[in-house]
Amino acid sequence: MIETIRNKAKEWLEKNDGGCVIGYERASDGMTARPVFIYKPYMVGSLIFDETCVHNLSKYLLNRRGLKTAIVVKPCDSRGINLLINEHQLDRESIYVIGVVCPGMKDAHFGRIEDRPLSKCRVCLHHTPAVYDVLVGEPQPETASRDYSDVARIEGISIHERNAFWKEQFERCIRCYGCRQVCAGCYCQECFVDELDPLWVGIRSGPEDNWIWNIGRAFHLSARCIGCGECERVCPVGIPLMLANRKLEKESADLFDFEPGMDAGTAPPFATFLKEETLEKVE
Amino acid sequence: MELTYEPRIVGFLCNWCSYAGADLAGTSRTNYPANIRIIRVPCSGRVDPLFIVKAFQLGADGVLVAGCHPGDCHYSDGNYHTRRRVGLLRPFLDYLGLDKARLRLEWVSASEGKRFSEVVSSFTDTLIKMGPRSS
Repeated sequence: MIETIRNKAKEWLEKNDGGCVIGYERASDGMTARPVFIYKPYMVGSLIFDETCVHNLSKYLLNRRGLKTAIVVKPCDSRGINLLINEHQLDRESIYVIGVVCPGMKDAHFGRIEDRPLSKCRVCLHHTPAVYDVLVGEPQPETASRDYSDVARIEGISIHERNAFWKEQFERCIRCYGCRQVCAGCYCQECFVDELDPLWVGIRSGPEDNWIWNIGRAFHLSARCIGCGECERVCPVGIPLMLANRKLEKESADLFDFEPGMDAGTAPPFATFLKEETLEKVE
Repeated sequence: MELTYEPRIVGFLCNWCSYAGADLAGTSRTNYPANIRIIRVPCSGRVDPLFIVKAFQLGADGVLVAGCHPGDCHYSDGNYHTRRRVGLLRPFLDYLGLDKARLRLEWVSASEGKRFSEVVSSFTDTLIKMGPRSS
């Protein structure tokens, strides 16, 4: 598998002078992976791909708009590329996508790799990239049924318990904005949270301001979140952000029959409408 | 004297239909509760979900978004977009522990002064029954 990735990267670099391959290499701890940017064909030997390659690299493409770039992507990350193309942030021609069939990723904590796959991998549907120029590995069948048991668990508790649950979660937020920085869908020139007039979100990280930031962040990604789970992975205080994102994913699938990033052509739900549709209005 | 709970409603009314509808309710001396604080917006499509969330953050008990009936939008399709946004925001706020009955989307035309008063009255009644927000 890894030899195929290296060979494809090398072939591509030899043909595309000045291009860059974005992939994974072994981090200095000798165990986890880290992103690597390769500009010369002889350097492809450092590329790796295994269950530690958790990062979503598709955001790096935004720094290379219009430049020749090859990228190693997992299925969830590949949806990020579709999202960005769909939103006119990238053009497909300049990107060479090395799609890798994903076995499920494992995060490392305290110097050892966990036994269980990441929570997003346990509910993953698509094991083959949605977009690729070259596919590494055998295409895998999709998981047929969606598992929203985590969302259903929150939906099942009373509204007061839900309120208390989320209040407790958002209270911990230190507003480092790591979730935003790592998100492939968060590329606004000026984020609503950085605006000073109007001041949508107060400067201090108090409970109310954290509440509006977390809602604003999640809702800006409604029907856009590709489920790569990077926000939750980088959160230093362990807020279950995917639990909020997945509720929106579920609702937008129900209401608009839309799954973000699966192709680069379908108009996103908030950019279009159906005249005859009726959404549940009032209780 | 017993203090009664008076909910505060922030109403985002579209300039062309609902605001004129509220105006008609006023000029035709139709009563409606004073609990609503009206903000005039050019179109219900102008209502960013952030406006709604911000209103709740600043202590609103309820938010009413009112616009032209589907098909009647002055800008042809603003209210269709609002319908989608609010349609997704309501279940999401409910999921986060803010009862979805506190956010209403209504269509009120410029000739429906009576309907505007009914909408505000029923919304106020609902909110009084629900009591103050816990968060």
